[in-house]
Formats: sequence, C-alpha cells, structure tokens
Amino acid sequence: MDSSSLQPLLLFLQSLISGILVGGVYALIGIGLTIIFGVMRIINFAHGDIMMIGMYLTYNLFTLAGIDPFLSIVVCIPLMFLFGGLLQKVFINRVLNALPQNQILLTIGLGLIMSNTMMLIYTSDYKILTTEYSSGSFSLMGLSISQPLAISFVITAVITAFLYWFLMKTDMGQAIRATAQDRQAAQLMGINVKRMSIIAFGLGAALAGTAGALIAPTYYIFPQIGSSFTLKAFVITVLGGMGSVIGATLGGILIGIAESLGAVYISSGWKEVLVYVIFLLALLFKPSGLLGKSRM
Amino acid sequence: MSIITEIIETLKKTPPARLLTFLALTGALFIFPQAVDSPYALHIMILVFLSVIMGGSWNILGGYTGQYSVGHAAYFGAGAYATMMMMQFREIPPWFGMLAGVAAAIAAGLIIGSICFRLRGPYFVLASIAATEIMRLSALNLKDLTNGAEGILATEIPPLSIGSALITDFSSKAPFYYIGLVFALAIIGVTWLVQHSKLGYCFQAIREDQDAAHSLGINPGMYKQLSLTISAAFTSLAGSFYAVYIGFIDPTTVLSLDMSVQIVLICIIGGIGTIFGPVVGAMVLVPLSEALRSNLITQTLISAGLVSEESPVGQFLKENLAHAHVLIYGILVVVVILFMPEGVLGFLRKRLAERGSKTA
Repeated sequence: MDSSSLQPLLLFLQSLISGILVGGVYALIGIGLTIIFGVMRIINFAHGDIMMIGMYLTYNLFTLAGIDPFLSIVVCIPLMFLFGGLLQKVFINRVLNALPQNQILLTIGLGLIMSNTMMLIYTSDYKILTTEYSSGSFSLMGLSISQPLAISFVITAVITAFLYWFLMKTDMGQAIRATAQDRQAAQLMGINVKRMSIIAFGLGAALAGTAGALIAPTYYIFPQIGSSFTLKAFVITVLGGMGSVIGATLGGILIGIAESLGAVYISSGWKEVLVYVIFLLALLFKPSGLLGKSRM
Repeated sequence: MSIITEIIETLKKTPPARLLTFLALTGALFIFPQAVDSPYALHIMILVFLSVIMGGSWNILGGYTGQYSVGHAAYFGAGAYATMMMMQFREIPPWFGMLAGVAAAIAAGLIIGSICFRLRGPYFVLASIAATEIMRLSALNLKDLTNGAEGILATEIPPLSIGSALITDFSSKAPFYYIGLVFALAIIGVTWLVQHSKLGYCFQAIREDQDAAHSLGINPGMYKQLSLTISAAFTSLAGSFYAVYIGFIDPTTVLSLDMSVQIVLICIIGGIGTIFGPVVGAMVLVPLSEALRSNLITQTLISAGLVSEESPVGQFLKENLAHAHVLIYGILVVVVILFMPEGVLGFLRKRLAERGSKTA
C-alpha cells in the first residue's frame, strides 16, 4: 500500500485518538455532575463555572508560585472539595425539597455569581497558560499525540479508577451510593444523609475543578468558559444515564470522539451542533441513557 | 363574541378601585414623555417595557403552563434576526420584519415544542437549552445569511408613514417609548386573558398536574404547544423591538444562554404565574443593572466616603464594576430563591396578609 491510500485511515485514527484523549477530561466533568445528581437529584448548572474556578486556581498557582498545572491538582482537589462542600452546606441544602425549577435557578444564579466575580477579579481577557510541553507532542505508531492531552488522560484514568474503588469498596462510598439509591431508606439505616450530600457535592466540585486544572494548559482561560462545559456535562450525563459513573465515563469519551470526528469531517464550526443533535436524539429515543435506569 | 362577553363579565367582577388605578397609571405612562424631557429617563423606561414584554411572554409558558423553558433566547433571536436581516439586507421596513419574526418564532416553537414537550422536569429544561444552542451555533455558522459572529449593525431605520403622512422618523426616543408601552400593555392584557379564560384554566391545570389534566380530557401536548405559540410570538416581538432600538445584534447577545436566563429571571424575581410579576421584576432588575452599568453604585460608594477614589479598591471598582452588571442577576436570583421563592410580589403579598391578620 502506498502512503496516499493510508492517508484517510490515518486521519481517522488521528482524530479518533485525540477525541478519546479529550473525552477523558469530559468524562471527569460528567462524573462530577452525575454524582451530584445521583445523590441529590439536583442538576448543577454551576458545574462548568466550578470547573472554570479550577482553571483559574491552576493558572494562579502556575503564574504566582510556578507550580506545574498537572501537579497543581494536589492543591486543587482538596480546595475545590471544600468549596463544593461549602456551596452545598450554605445554599443547596436549603432547596433540597424545593421545586426542581427553583433548584435549577439557584445553581444558575450561583454560576452567574462565580463567572462574574472572576470577571471582576481577572477581567474577561483570555489567559493562556504556557508550559514547556503545551504544544509538545510525541508520535506513536505514526500518529502524533499531544503531550498535555496524553498526560491529562492518564491522570483522568487514575482518578476515575480511584473514585470507582472509593464508591464501591469503602464504607463512605457505599453510604453515598445508598443515599443515591433511596434517601429515606438510607437515613433510616443510620446514614447521615446531610453529610453524604456535602461530601457528594464536594466530590463533584473537586472532579470539575480537577478537570479545569487538566485542561488549563490546552484551553484559553476566561470567566465565561463555564457555560459551554456545563452544557457538555449535561449531554455526557444524559447520554450515559443520569447517576451512572461508568455511563458518564463512556458518555464523555463518546462526546470527545463525536466532536473530534465532527471537526474533521464536517467543520469545526458545526461540531458542537452535532453534540447537541446527539443530545436531543438521546433524550427522545433513549432518555434513560446508555447505562442508567429510567428516572423520568 | 363569547370571548367579549366573558371579558366584560370578568371585568365587572374586578374591584373598580384596582381597575381605576390601572387605568390612571396607564394614562400617566402615556403622558410621561411629554412631561419628562430626559432621553435617559425614556431610555430606562424603554428598557423596563422591553423587560416586561420578555418576562410577560415567558410567564405564559413558564408561569401559567408550568413549562420552565430556559431557551427563550431562541424566539427572541428569531424576532431580532428576522427583523434585522430584512431591514439591513433587503431594505424591508421593520414592521414587516417583525411579522416575519413572529412567524419564524412560531415555526421554531413548533419544532422545539414537538421535541421538548415529550420531556418533563429537568430533561425539558436541558432540551430547551440544547435546541437554543443549536440555533445560536447555526446563526454563528451561516455567515452568508446572518453575518456570523460579526452580527448585524443597523445603519438607518426607515421612517414610518401611513399613505403620504409621515408619522415618525425615529429621530427621538419617544416613538420607541410608545411602541414599547403598547407592546407591554398588550402582553399584560394577554396574561390577564390567560388568567381568566378557559384556555388559561387548561394551562394552569397542566401546570398543577399534567396527568390529572390529561385524565380530565385536556390534551397536554396541544395546550402546551398553544401556550408556547403565544409565548414565542411575544418573545419574538421583544426581540424585534430590541434589535431596532439597540441597532445591533449578534449571536452571543440575542441567542445566548444568558439571554434565556435573563428572560426567566425577570419573571422569577417579580413572581411567576402572576399578571404583574414581570412588571415588578422589570422594575427591580432594569434600574439595578443600569445603576451598575453606568457606575452609579461606585460613585455612590465613593461619595458616601465608604471607598476612597484614589485607593486601589476604588480604582478597581471604578474600572470593573460596570462590566459585571450580570453579577446583580446572580445575586438577586440566589436571594429570591432562598428567601422569597414566590418572587418579590408573592413575598410582599404574604407580608401584607400577615400584617392584615395581625391587626384583625
């Protein structure tokens, strides 16, 4: 075979790989959202904005203290966990029994406060976090792979595996899952449901913040970046099945691939339209998602 | 004819004092531009009217029918784009563009409704957002049609004349004031009709319990679509009005999620499912966000001696607070949801009722 007939295949594999790598980070954002939804039945519209705060945190750690963005997650995870727990304790807990639309509006309001506060502090200028490896890449079997994306994918995989172990094997993980299955029954079994909610929101925020830290070297950083990621996170969780961690992982990678292939074969302007079309189709024909039980 | 007798019957039941107050206020609003000769005051009033139209039309679908669309920017954008595209690219007066916008919004509503109304609760909200995002991205990508991200800038508004008589050339703010006022009164009237008509009862039955309404023979799909059609048509009018008044539109302003949220907030802050909720919401939101935008708040803080103008904090506020007028929306919605879930109007009513029962 000559190289020209290999070209289309190579292009396909190339975009497939980069789709999977980006999808890993999407999965992280989706898992955070799905845990929050699973435990509290609340759709967190501030999810992308929490991620945006993680991005700025990483940016500051890098520019002020010179900490590598990928190392910064060691600081980012606990800080964002506390931030999420605080949000839950101060705001979300008060609307747990309110109308779903009021819950949605509350998180929308919190998101607006976050993005506009960041805009006050950092202005709406685009910030770029440039590391030595930001544009670096290595080649694997003839495919060129972006170095920061590859590192972030590995970190994502480790975090996801750890999270899965935590939810499945530890007492606290089981308590969280019990709360997600049946809040009242869990309470009757002596589980501190309020505490589990705080931990769940903390986890969700930590995951979103970590995702923000991981994409900080490859994306522009600006206060309004959150809303597009919030929407993406919804698409991912609905696609995977609301409340399912593995579903969100799968959904994230699928959306990453769809975007990457869409950008190559349709156009980069229309790739997001493709994502939303997939989303609407999924809502219409498989509302329970790929792996979730129907909750409608 | 039955509608007219129904209207008269309901009007007879309305307390005359309330009716008179409403008529007096309306009359005062019609004289306002003659009495006050300040373009800025007129500008604020026009923005209030615009918000009333936006919030009022969302109220029909969200407040009375219980369908929390967070995608009303789709209809707002349809009106804005239809009007501007026809006015700038084809030189068709905005009056026709406005009608085309209403038609486009109703068509968009039919498509979006047929997808979204099968879903409930959070899924409905998400689907309405996704559908609007598709419209925003389309407007961004169809550059030949919409000018893409550059947006459309109005160069000149054709004068309005009937026959050979020139009515206005839009050189002052007064014509916009009256158009806005008439639209705002129209949406208040429609809301009033919805509240008191059989159609409105069907809407409210669906809001309270869709399954129960269905079992009583109300077709939820049809009535939700009807409600959306009314709502979309008026939102589109607001979009056309905005486009011609401001003179510039682009996808990130008129078709954005922020616009959808803003439309919902007007209603939530005032009080949803009430006739005057959107009016109260508009009267709270517009002055507040204008005060931030025009740096009034920073100036007040400085003149009150709370912040020194030379201090870094003062400098910082002066430079940045104006850009963050959306912040006030965020803070307001959080406060309203946590402390007055029925909106300012519901909160005041409850307070009044409490006071009434105490004195009684």
